[in-house]
Amino acid sequence: MDNFEKNIRQNASEFDDHRPDRDKMWANISKELETDSTKVIPLWKTPILKMVAALLLLFCVTSFIAYSVINANSGLETQYASKELLDIDKHYQGLVSYQVQLVRNHPKLSETDKSEFLSFMDELDAEYQQLRLEMRNNLDNELVLEAIVTNYKKRIELIENLLKQINDSKIQEDDYGYTL
Amino acid sequence: METNIRFTHQALIEKCKSGHRSAQYELYTLYVDAMYNIGMRMLGNKEDAEDIVQESFVSAFKNLEGFGYESTFGSWLKRIVINKCINYLKKKDIPVVPIDAHEFHLKVEEKEVTQAVDIQRVKIGISKLPSGYRQIINLYLIEGYDHIEIGEVLGISTSTSKSQYHRAKKKLVEIIKEL
Repeated sequence: MDNFEKNIRQNASEFDDHRPDRDKMWANISKELETDSTKVIPLWKTPILKMVAALLLLFCVTSFIAYSVINANSGLETQYASKELLDIDKHYQGLVSYQVQLVRNHPKLSETDKSEFLSFMDELDAEYQQLRLEMRNNLDNELVLEAIVTNYKKRIELIENLLKQINDSKIQEDDYGYTL
Repeated sequence: METNIRFTHQALIEKCKSGHRSAQYELYTLYVDAMYNIGMRMLGNKEDAEDIVQESFVSAFKNLEGFGYESTFGSWLKRIVINKCINYLKKKDIPVVPIDAHEFHLKVEEKEVTQAVDIQRVKIGISKLPSGYRQIINLYLIEGYDHIEIGEVLGISTSTSKSQYHRAKKKLVEIIKEL
């Protein structure tokens, strides 16, 4: 390195003869840093936080499983209740329709008696449909459930009474024959 | 001793790493003048120098985690500024090395011994140099880079850097003599 080079290197600071607009430049730098200032700190890298995160995850998973199991159980209960109700409904419906059919086919009943009886049955049937709707909205309502059972009982009672009347008249007629 | 120099402003730099804006400003004020002058020397105009220096500081602050005191913060930042300047010049198709830099030079450059010259005349001489020569003179004589570093920055071999520097220096001396 000759004197020419040495002289320049030793006096390199003399080449710094420009003055920057510091404030303007900082404002731009600051603005640029601001947009990216949300620093991501990898907390999960800390062992304690790793453990906490693992426990939290375990708790969440356990809670989720427990919730699912409870829900499934309650669903089963509902299913069982619905099934029981369905069985009762089916049983009574079968009973009623069988007896209605008996009345319809009975040769000794006049058409007037039949239609009077069937109109009563229709009324009870309409009430039953209404109760079923109520029941669908509120399965746990015991009063509705009782009303449905009462409705069936009334229908059966009505049929039984009618059949009893028929049978009674039949017995009277038979007795009359024997008296003779 | 060298180790101590590398850790200059360590406390401040560590604060900057944590994102302290006031520490960043303090570090900025310490280095902005030097960096701006590098920009001015390499790019030759105020607007470009401002843009490049701003970009360099933003880049430095964002990537400060990667600074591990292998050199001084000043050298690290200076390298960022110089690299950005070179990239900018390349983008603008301004030669960063003399046109014939990649040719083989069978002739061994004769080293001329030159006497010290007034700094003001050197400044004028450098401003009159072609862009390619100017960068290599700036990097070697003013920024204090050796030929290995110049080779890395400009993407040329160490021997090419040496030969091109001697040509540039010869040219500079000629210009100064004519002043």
